Formats: sequence, C-alpha cells, structure tokens
Amino acid sequence: MARAAHPHAMQSAKPSSTRTAPPMMPAQFPSSGRYRAYTLFGATGIVYLLLGFVTLRVVWALGSGEAAWNNLMSQLQNPLYIAFHVLGLVSVLFVGVRFFSLFPKAQPPRIGPAKPPPAPVITAGLYAAWIGVTVLLGAILAGGLF
Amino acid sequence: MKHVLLKLEPLIWFLFGQGIMLGTILLTAWIAIVGLAIPMGIVDASALSFGRASDLGGHLIGRVVLAALCILPLWKGAHHMRHMLIDSGGADRDATMATLLYLVATVGSVLAIVAVVRL
Repeated sequence: MARAAHPHAMQSAKPSSTRTAPPMMPAQFPSSGRYRAYTLFGATGIVYLLLGFVTLRVVWALGSGEAAWNNLMSQLQNPLYIAFHVLGLVSVLFVGVRFFSLFPKAQPPRIGPAKPPPAPVITAGLYAAWIGVTVLLGAILAGGLF
Repeated sequence: MKHVLLKLEPLIWFLFGQGIMLGTILLTAWIAIVGLAIPMGIVDASALSFGRASDLGGHLIGRVVLAALCILPLWKGAHHMRHMLIDSGGADRDATMATLLYLVATVGSVLAIVAVVRL
C-alpha cells in the first residue's frame, strides 16, 4: 500500500521552479518484490547487534575464570541459544552473499590513478577471503590447528 | 545532535562497512563452531576448554579477533537498525534513535575492549 514518504526525503537543497509530486513510499515497500531482500538485509541489523553482545558475553566469561567459562559453555547448549545461533548463521550467510554481490557494483570508476579490477575478480577475492578465513578460524576453534 | 551525527558519519560508515565485511567473514566460523558445533556435541568441547580458550584468546592476534567479533557487529547492527527505523517512518525521531543506538554500540565497544584487555 503506497503511503506518504518522509516529506524531506529526496528534497533538493534549493527550491526548484519545476513542480514535483509529493514523495511517496513505493507500493511494494516493505515486503514485496525487490524490497523483501532490502528489508531482510536491514533486519539482519537486529541479529548482528545481538550477536555482538552474545560474543561480548563469551569473551567476558573467558576473562572471568574457569568456573564462569564452563558455566557459559553449558548455557550455550540451551535450545534458545542454539536457535539464535542458527538464525545468526543464516543471517550472516545472507548478508555475505548479498553484500559480496553488491560490492563490485559500488566501486568508483577510478581509485586514484588506478581502475578497480573487473567485477568477477573482486567477487572471487571476497569469496576467497570469506571461505579462507572461515576454514582457518573454524579449524583453530575446533582444535584442528594450534 | 544532528550536526554531531553528521560530523561522525565517516567514522560510523567505516565501522558499519567493516561490520558487514569483516564482521561477516569472522562471524561465520565463530557461530558455526562456538555457537553450534560445540554446544551440539558435533565438535568435542575440549577444543575450547578453559586452558585452550585462554591461550588462544590471550594471544595478541586472538585479542584483536575477539575485539573485532564483538565490536564490528554492534556497529553494523546499530546503523542498519537506524536506517530501518527511518524507512519505517521514523525520520522525525532519527536524531534521538540514532544517538541511542550508537550509544549502545559505543558502550558495547568499550566493554569489548575491557573484556579483551582482561584476558
């Protein structure tokens, strides 16, 4: 359902002689068509904010001694924590796939004297970094390295 | 406050961008192993026994990674939530809500630095 957008959205800095229609939110916003992925991408912000605080809790417990650490590791087995981390993993994968497909399109035509690499090269580099860090960090955390 | 937010915008956008890029790259393995594989018994819990976790987290690189894992998602989350609120018709309250969200991210970031320092 189309509704009025914020009155200052897309407003020019100076009054124009050209008459324009009042800004309206697109009819598909927020959950239809292309806006579905846009809204979901924004909604991952809530999950990321919570993930930041859960991670902080893990690090804090590590600094609080063995009893606090063991207690926290037990709490992470709670089905609510497991469900949250499943949601977190889905969110992270969604953000990665979406952002890494948008990143090459957001590059300027020139960066100083150099042109950015072709889009497939940028995308391949991002995925290589993502997969490489995930495998390396995963192996370290799972006890396979160091 | 709007003026201050505009002044801070380059820093906020930097943290937001790194939250999406580095945050996503680091969080994938962190969630998979610490949040899922170890609690579900897929990976043996001794992989992150207190002694081993302290050794990994106490290393300089470990501290930097843990700080990034805490701080960057907070800023990605705060900035994205701000824009969701604007899109949902909350532009008139943007200065208040943005200040509140960035304050939450700032407090979390300070606590994260304290947390990695005391490892």
